[in-house]
Amino acid sequence: MIALLAVPLTVLSMQQGADSAIAQRLAGRVPPQIASLVGELGTAAATRGLPVDPLIQKAIEGSAKGVPSERVAAALRLVATHLDSAAAALRDGGLPADTLAIAAGEFAITAGLSRNDITALARTGANAAALTVGLRVAGTLAALGVPPAEDIGLVSVELRAGEPASTLLLLPAEVQAEMAKGATAAQAAAGLARAAAAQARRGPPPGRGQGQPPPPHPPHPPPPPHP
Amino acid sequence: MSEHEFHPLVKQLLDGDITLADLPAELRAEGQEALQLLAGVERTSVSMPAVTWRVMTALERRRRRFRPWLLAPALAAAAALVLWLRPASPPPSPSASLVTVRFVLVAPEARQVSLAGTFNQWNPQATPLIRAGNVWTATLTLPAGQHQYAFVVDGARWVPDPGAPAVDDGFGRRNSVLTL
Repeated sequence: MIALLAVPLTVLSMQQGADSAIAQRLAGRVPPQIASLVGELGTAAATRGLPVDPLIQKAIEGSAKGVPSERVAAALRLVATHLDSAAAALRDGGLPADTLAIAAGEFAITAGLSRNDITALARTGANAAALTVGLRVAGTLAALGVPPAEDIGLVSVELRAGEPASTLLLLPAEVQAEMAKGATAAQAAAGLARAAAAQARRGPPPGRGQGQPPPPHPPHPPPPPHP
Repeated sequence: MSEHEFHPLVKQLLDGDITLADLPAELRAEGQEALQLLAGVERTSVSMPAVTWRVMTALERRRRRFRPWLLAPALAAAAALVLWLRPASPPPSPSASLVTVRFVLVAPEARQVSLAGTFNQWNPQATPLIRAGNVWTATLTLPAGQHQYAFVVDGARWVPDPGAPAVDDGFGRRNSVLTL
């Protein structure tokens, strides 16, 4: 009997804890009706294993920008929907619940990727940490105008090759550099994906995977003083 | 804000391929302006040689030559210059390391520019930029991860960074994106 009562009481206690934490973060930053909505959406999200931070951030952002409450409320409901979609996409891809990965998936959806795109990245077999970085990078590439097919193609190749986060994080700058030379975003991403796939077929470059970084070169000499 | 595209010879000057004396007389003023702009942006407490080496090493791994003049449109339009201070080994978890980032905005007519984003609770008063001529800069150390931000010009106008990717903010505007 006690055990039967303990489960709902524990859940109730967790919900009250989440609600209180949200209220503390929003105190004095947003109108009361928005704080109440974030509490409601955030508590429901937390009980489903979803991150609450994107909701809190969106509420604070809307208030800071002077956006009317009804528009902030609509944006909050959209964030909650995207969080649910991202979590479902990751589950479909075989990844257990991970709040950082779900938040990264929510960003990727906001940037223009679909639930299927996120599932495709999850199916690369990358661990949660690598996939989180991959989702952030994929969202950033989408924000640069890379179409989903080329975007997911490029990030998938890198994730399957086991590239470190530092390499993945260079991809947006590399795409921008190619675009500055005249390539479209799609061409830039496709070209980088081909190069990465070729590199993966050849195997890791010398020194990779031995646990030691390459020896440092001397830093570039300082430029001469300007006249 | 002003848009500015440098002459190809000025880009060569910024690359270090030629000197100011090699430029035709009519381009020397533009060359000097470009060098001053670059020098103004680089005046910070960040250890530039070490940071530059890290960026160069990472880019050379991909056999691509880093062309400094690629930064020129970003300097002229506005940009976030990301400087990596991440330890090389072992790789940290995505949320563990810190990255120093320089934000740059060219806004000659602004009286005040600040930065608001996920890293400062979107507080438009928290991170003012410092003026150097027409260029406004701020250097921040941010946790690795994904950040969204905008410049706030004269306390009222929210301006996305034209040199950075941007996403819909859900309120009819755009947020710039920084992935570290």
